[in-house]
Amino acid sequence: MSVTETLLVFVGIPAAAVLVIAGLAYAGSRGSGGGGGGGAKRYRPGRPFDFTPVWFLGRPEQLADSAGTALAAGAQAPALTSHKLEQASVEAPAGGTGGASDRW
Amino acid sequence: MTVGEEQAGTDTPPEVLDGPFSTRQLLRIDEALRLADQGTGLVFSVFVGGLDEPIREHAQRLHRQLAEPDKSVLIAVSPNQRRLEVVTGRYARKRIPDTYAKLAALSMAGAFSGGDLAGGIINGLDQLASHAGKG
Repeated sequence: MSVTETLLVFVGIPAAAVLVIAGLAYAGSRGSGGGGGGGAKRYRPGRPFDFTPVWFLGRPEQLADSAGTALAAGAQAPALTSHKLEQASVEAPAGGTGGASDRW
Repeated sequence: MTVGEEQAGTDTPPEVLDGPFSTRQLLRIDEALRLADQGTGLVFSVFVGGLDEPIREHAQRLHRQLAEPDKSVLIAVSPNQRRLEVVTGRYARKRIPDTYAKLAALSMAGAFSGGDLAGGIINGLDQLASHAGKG
């Protein structure tokens, strides 16, 4: 075998195989995310997860806030506005509540 | 972009789609919340987002913002801080004692540690609602 043939067989073919497998893996990881759109984001514990905070209410009119009227306009899952977050940080916590805490 | 697409964009708030859930998961959570509210007569609410320190106090402030805090149950999840708070109001606490809230919190944290936010929330809601019983 000439030098060119040796290079082609022992470098070219493995390189081509690696590229094909890498391409398939990349395509697979993109496609399996969410069954068509919006699947790029996924929560993995310990990794930073960038998203807009959401506040779900069974009945949107249940929020005791003047801005709550905007939530009744049809949003099933209203996003929390910065206004409400600011207000929440000002008001004093209520007494007599129960519940539980956990971490993971 | 067509006119129809623009209208669809204004009907649904785009911020929700920037949230941590897909459309299908949003629908499932909405359904779980509705069933929990209807079955128990309590008001269930789920907050997913960052919580300020002290985390428990922040969750209680959010709970206080609800229309009827005494009858309300708030599940506050902070994925980045890996913290979970369940806040029950005065009346709701009688229906869901703290030990059962802790039990539901434990199972939710188990699902969250596996990366399943929506599944954990739905299971937690179901556990809390089934323990509260009919109101």
